[in-house]
Parts: sequence; C-alpha cells; structure tokens
Amino acid sequence: MSDVATTSPAPRVFSAVLGSPALRLIVKRLLTAIPILLGVSILMFVLLNLIPGSAALQLLGPEATPEQIARLEHDMGLDRPPVERYLEWLWNALQGDLGRSLVSRQPVTDVLPTRLAVTGELVALAFLISLTVAIPLALLAARRPNRFLDRVSMVVSTAGLSVANYVLALLLVLLFAVKLGWFPAIGYTPVSKGLGDNLYSLALPAFAMAFPLLCFYTRFLRGDLVDQMQGEDYVMTARAKGLGPWQVLLRHAFRNSSFGLITIVGLNISGLIGATVIIESIFSLPGIGQYLLQGILTRDYIVVQAIVIIFAIITVLANLMADVLYAVLDPRIRYGTN
Amino acid sequence: MALTEVQVSSSAVVADETAPTRTRAWLRKLHIGVPAGLLLLIFFACFVLPLVAPIPKPTGGDILNSLQPAFTPGHILGTDDNGNDILARILVGGRTSLFVALTVNLLGLVIGGGLGALAAQAGGIVDSIIMRLFDVLIAIPSLALIVAVSLSLGPGVRNTILTLSFFSVPAFARISRAETLRLREQPFMVAARLSGTSTWRIVVRHLAPNIGPQLMTFAMLGLGIVMVIEGALSFLGLGIRPPAPSWGNMIFQGQLSLSGTPMLVVWPSIALFLTVVGFNQLGEAVRLRWSGR
Amino acid sequence: MSEAVLKVENLHVRFEVAGYRVHAVNGLSYQLRAGRTLAIVGESGSGKTVSSRALMGLLPPNATVSGSARIGSVELVGLPEEDMRRHRGADLAMVFQDPTRSLNPTMRIGTQITEAIRAHTRVEPAAAKRRALELLSLVRIPDPNRRFHQYPHQLSGGMRQRVMIAIALSSDPKVLIADEATTALDVTTQAQIMELLAELRSRLGTAIILISHDLGLAASYADDVIVMYAGRAVEYAPTRILFAQMRMPYTRALFDAIPRLERESHTLLPVTPGQPPDLTALPAGCPFEPRCPRARPECRDSRPPFVEHEVGHWWACWNPCKDGEQLMTELGV
Repeated sequence: MSDVATTSPAPRVFSAVLGSPALRLIVKRLLTAIPILLGVSILMFVLLNLIPGSAALQLLGPEATPEQIARLEHDMGLDRPPVERYLEWLWNALQGDLGRSLVSRQPVTDVLPTRLAVTGELVALAFLISLTVAIPLALLAARRPNRFLDRVSMVVSTAGLSVANYVLALLLVLLFAVKLGWFPAIGYTPVSKGLGDNLYSLALPAFAMAFPLLCFYTRFLRGDLVDQMQGEDYVMTARAKGLGPWQVLLRHAFRNSSFGLITIVGLNISGLIGATVIIESIFSLPGIGQYLLQGILTRDYIVVQAIVIIFAIITVLANLMADVLYAVLDPRIRYGTN
Repeated sequence: MALTEVQVSSSAVVADETAPTRTRAWLRKLHIGVPAGLLLLIFFACFVLPLVAPIPKPTGGDILNSLQPAFTPGHILGTDDNGNDILARILVGGRTSLFVALTVNLLGLVIGGGLGALAAQAGGIVDSIIMRLFDVLIAIPSLALIVAVSLSLGPGVRNTILTLSFFSVPAFARISRAETLRLREQPFMVAARLSGTSTWRIVVRHLAPNIGPQLMTFAMLGLGIVMVIEGALSFLGLGIRPPAPSWGNMIFQGQLSLSGTPMLVVWPSIALFLTVVGFNQLGEAVRLRWSGR
Repeated sequence: MSEAVLKVENLHVRFEVAGYRVHAVNGLSYQLRAGRTLAIVGESGSGKTVSSRALMGLLPPNATVSGSARIGSVELVGLPEEDMRRHRGADLAMVFQDPTRSLNPTMRIGTQITEAIRAHTRVEPAAAKRRALELLSLVRIPDPNRRFHQYPHQLSGGMRQRVMIAIALSSDPKVLIADEATTALDVTTQAQIMELLAELRSRLGTAIILISHDLGLAASYADDVIVMYAGRAVEYAPTRILFAQMRMPYTRALFDAIPRLERESHTLLPVTPGQPPDLTALPAGCPFEPRCPRARPECRDSRPPFVEHEVGHWWACWNPCKDGEQLMTELGV
C-alpha cells in the first residue's frame, strides 16, 4: 500500500503567492499607478482651469460686476498662480483633505463615505443581478449550441448591447414605475430604514446598469464555453473518460471560462462607475456619480477634481485586482514552469 | 509518400453535394446586407430627406401647437412640448448625431491609430511617453472623463466632437499599438526593416494595409458606442444643447413629461437603437468576414 | 487463438460538411484479440482516427455511423449516448496525440485521474486517490505523491502522456486505443512510451489498437497490422507476414518511403506522386488506382474486394506485388 500522506495544497498556495510573480505584479502595478494618478490630477486641474466662467461667476450669477467677481475670486483663492494652487491641493489631498465644496462649503471627505456606500451598493447589485442571470443562461445556451435557447439568448443579448443604459432606465421607469407602479421612479431609501425598502428603491437603477453587463457576459461566456467544448482537446479527453455533458461543461469548460469572466468583471468595474453618473442622476440616488454631475453642473471644481481622482483610484485598483486574480487563479502563472 | 490532408473540392467525379451550401452563402450576404441597408436608409432619411421632402423645420415651433399626437396633419409623429415637429427633430438630430459620431471616429482612427502605430514602431522612450499619456486618459471611466472635459470645453457641436475625441483617440491608439506590435515580429516586417526601408514607407506600404481592416472594424463598432455617449452627453445637457436637436437631448426633454407623453422619449430612443444596432451588426459582420478569410 | 475482444464489421462513417458528404470510412472490418496489439496504419485522411472515434462515439454531430462494432456482446454502433458513456473509459479507452492539449491545464493531475475513476465506480475520495497513485506508479512516474498535486505544465511531455495512459487505464478497459499517441514526442520518449504500453499489455492483458502513420512503429510494436487507404482496409496480416510479403502496392509504397540508414546519404526518398482521393467523390474502382504503378484497366472499373487470399493475410488488389519484387527502383544520386 503506497504512502498516502502528502502535503495538502493550502499552505503551498500561500507561499506560492507571496514569493510568486503575482506579488511582483502587484508591486509593479502599484508603482506605475502613482504617476498615472498624478497625471490624472494634473490633467483635471488643467482642464478645470480652462473653464470659461469661474466658480465665482457661477455663484454670483451673470448680474455680478467684475469687481464683485474679482473680490470673491480673491477670497476663494482663485487668483493665485495655478501651479501653486495645484501643489497646495496635492499636499492636502495626500493628507486626506480633498477640499471643501465651493457650493456647499462642506468638506468633500465628509460626504464621501455615505455617497460611496450608495454607489457601492448599486454597483454590487448590478453585478449580482447580471451574473446570476448570465451564468446559468450561458451554460444552458452552450449545452445545446445553435438550438432554440442559444439562438434566442444570443439575439437578445446582441440587441441588448445596442440599447443605451439611460434609454433603458427611462423605459423601465415608464413601464414599472409610471404604468405599473411596482417600483419607485426616483429616490433612495438607506438600509437603516429597512433592507426591503432599500432594495426596492435600488431595483430599477440596478437593473438598468445590470442589463448591458448581462448581455455582454452571456455572449462572452457562451462563446468561450462553446469554443472550449468544440475546440479543446481536453474536452475530448473528458468525454473519453465517460463523463456526461453537464459534467464536462461545468468541471472543465466552465472552470476555465470562469477565470476569464472574473477578469472581465474586474475590468468592467471602471465602466460601471462611469455609468453611475447618468443612472444616479435619472433616479436621484445620492451616490458619487450624482455628486460628480452636480459638481459639473455647478462648476464646483473642487468636487469635480476630487471625484475624478476617486474614480481613477477605483479604476486602477479594480484593474489591478483583476490582473492579480487572473495571475493567482491560472496555475500556469501561479506555479510557473518547473 | 505525400502525406496530405483531405481536400474537400469539386473534382472530376460527381461530388456528393447536399442542399444547404447555396443558402449558407446567401445568408452570409444577408448578414452584411441587412444592417448596411438599414444604415443607408437612416443616412438617407437624416441627410437627404429633409432637403427634398416637405418636412417642417425642427426648431421655431409654435408653443400653442405643442404636444400634438401622431398623425396630426403636417406632423406625422406629432409635436413636442415646444411645438416643434418630432419627425423633423429626429431627422435633423440624427444628422447632427451621425455627423458627430463619424467625425469623432475619423479623428480617433487617424490621430489615435497613427499615434498608437507610431508608439509601437518607435518603441523606447517615445512609446513610453505616448502610452503613459493615454494611460492617464484611460484611467478615468469614460463617461466621467467626457463629462469633465465637456465642462471645460463647453457645449455645441464642435466642442462635443473635441470632447468625445478624448475618448476615441486613446481607444484607437491602444488597438493600433497592439496590432502594430503584433505585426512587427512577422517575417515580412522584419525583412522590411532589415533591408533598410524607411519608416515612412514601412508605415504606408506594410503597416497600414495590415492593421487597417482591424481598425476599420473597430471604427464601425465605435460608431455605435460614440452615438450612445454623445446621446448621454446631450442628455445631461452638456453636449448638443436645445433648441438644436440631438437624440440625446430629445430623450432628456421627453423625460420631463414621461408619464403624459411617453412617445417623446420613445421615438428618439427607437431611432438611436436602430442606428446603433445597424452599426454593431455591420461591424460584427465585417469582422467575421475579415477574420474568417 | 484467443477470443476476439472487439469485432468491427463493415463500418461506415459519413460527415456532412459545408454541403458535401465526406465518406471518411467505407466498409472497415477487423477483429482484435485479447492481449494483442493491432496497428492501424495509414496517411492523414485514411480514416484511421475517424474509425476509432466512431467506436467510442466521440464524433461530432454531423457524422453518421453505420455497420457493426461489437465489444463483447455490446453493439457500439447506434448505442444511445447515455449507454455509450458507461462503456467509454470502462471498456474502451483512448489516449490522444498531444498530451499538452489533452490535459486540462487548470486542473491538477491527480484530480484528472480520480475524475476518470469516479466516472465509473462509486468510491470514496480517499480510495480514488489511492488508486490514482497506484496508476501513477504503474505508468512509472517517479514520486507519484508529489506529481499528484501538480499541474500538467509542471510535467514533461513524456510524463504527461504517461498520465494520459494512467487515465485511460483507470477503469481497467478491455481495449486501449492509442491514437498517434507518440507522434508528438521525441524519438527517445516515443520508445519509452511504446515499451510501457507493451509492458502494460502483458501485465494487464489489455488489447491495444495502435493508430499511426508510421509503418516503422507498427513493425516494432504490433502483432497485427491493418493498412488503410481512403477509408478502407487494403491489407491486413500479422506483422511478420506483412513485412515479409507485402502484397498491396500501397503498403509497398509506404514501406519504401521510410527513410533508412542503409541507403546512401542524399538518396531521394521514393515518393508516390499524386494525392489521396477526394472523399466526397470516391471513384467506382480502386481508390489507389490513379497513383498505382501496377494499375491495370480493371482497377479503374471495379473495386477489388478485401479477401483473405492467403492464410491470415487479407488484401484488396487486382494486381498485387509478388514475393521479393521491388515496387520502385531507388532514385540514386
């Protein structure tokens, strides 16, 4: 009887990750992220200083005299040289002070946590909905390629990708809020007032955001699964072992596809955050997307600067996470070659 | 002994042919034909029709004439809340939106594609600098970037085109660079470099024809994307401003009276949807054609 | 003479491809006896791989299989998929050509073996693992405990192929089909794998089908050889007899084309001109006729039947080679 005592894989993974290419990847990417984020802040600063009308003009209105404007600008510190203003901003930002809104005078960092929570919940729900529908649908479609369910779901997903999310949002409101009255058209109920109501208020916006993702994931996953089932030799081996079609699909094809899917989900986070700008506005949700838009409409450049940086940070981190996950999940990268 | 693969060909002895071949070839033509036809129709409607057909002006409507339903005499699709003819606004708005989308993609193709190829060809410092610049732009989610840039540049057709270029140029640059890098190591490219061909000649004679198709397909898919983003920008009031029509700002205006007159939102939405579907399908069909070769 | 473990009779396989019908296998018949190795030799497109995939039911949906293939008392042709699955891996197992692509790169070796075991027997994971480790030792993989947890890319090509063999043997199949199993390996590893297969055959009594384009391989390791051309068997005999007296001119041509050390260097390899026939439009006569140096008028008009002309030696030819005859003169420099 052979000796069956072997080292279990768990501690091995740990040491593999730490000493592995994955860690080097993380460090390298974090290092390159810094100049990129600096670049973003400089770009935004430059752009926002080209605004035809300054924030002061905006606050005082078109009737203001040039002297009044100049005085307010001086008070707001807007007449100092740009480089000086940028460096001051940067210095403060690195210490966690993102400035005060020009309009509300509230520190941006005070407002951030609650707003981030709202957006975070919205984005999380969107991913949840999209994956919960896309994965089973893609699996069922790939199980019988080119048959009815496959063709229908592909046509619908392709068409769905051509629908603008704001259009979908309005149509959802029209149907489910106005005509049927099942869901609220606008407004946000925080979790503290009841989880049910909270989810209720986020249902339509989450679905509006989830729908394009859903279409994309279904198409991607179905395509990847079918490619594997029809093209990869290890699928033939699996069948030759006597495994049933669902076993082959799930244990081999889906397993491999899931790595790609996870990476894509990570890369999508950035686009989804961007979409919140318009969705939160349509549904009046107090998240950071709406905050940015308000800042833009009121020429509150402090807020715009801050939120864009935040967006960039989230993007960089999400992309990094996606790459790292892929490196960790793919055993060829994790363990390298012998 | 010649070890060869099975050849499926129509040889001398009568081949055993089954029916579906002819339908399959037909279907492939349809794949390109239908979206192309749809798009031609849309282009015709937006660019030619207002010039030849008796369609009322899209602006300057009488407020007393507002919110007429469809099939009112003189207004096939009715009027909006300012009394403007909806069909006219859709056609003219489409003209504007299409013009913007085409220009933005053209700029992206030429500038972005050019810069990306240049970066890949030049390598080294030039590559690093160019790509770092684009990395900064790409690090900001597209809609957020567009919205922020539009704040700086302002509304209007020309500014909207410039704003949207901030999105299209980096996207094309990335693709172009990746394709160029891929092609660089192909034997014919190495040969051209080694034989001393000038960079310019390499770009024009060897590079462009090979990455061209890929970029064109991307451009076609990009048209749909840009139309949607322009719509978003106009929807938010930052792109094309009323009274000039754009499908985006029409949808926004329609939102204000969503419960009462939903069609104000639905008509431009349908127009946008059909156009984007057309571009996407055409892009897909062309891509399949080109890669399946 | 041992009992026939696998009896194939008049097997036909047809594909519908892009509007054409490809006749990949046209009336193949043979018998495989327990503990013996049968080599099926032919060039690409001869139908050798297709015929064995047909036995396992692993052909794509556009294939139609007819004829008979019995393993024991079970008729494989026309067997419904759920029943076929019970036999796949358990009675009939296959080892594929490229071990790099035939193993799932993201699954550990051990799991891929235990998966095969548990596909046919209900066992505890621990028992499956023991059996997997036994199999790894059986195929002579050193340090099986460590290899069990590794991924395919951490093993060499030869070891991966051994793992494939372990997977194939996991449920004690009666027949093991090695489909170009050594083509992707270097010559030394090839010899090792073939030795392993021979050893396993004598230890376990498994019958082996060796599919290859390499006549030399067949000569070294097979007990019986079938030569296929254009989807048909054209010659069949025990190895020694076949190599002593090749009858079918095609076999002769295959043999002559093997590079040999005894020839002068730079001797041109005798190549048979022409191409294999178009499988969508097979001629009425002998399919080899257009390229055959021994062709006669009757070869084009009617197909020679596949008949046991001499004891244990079958062939299909109107004008077979005589003993000791050279088919082609060497083209010397």
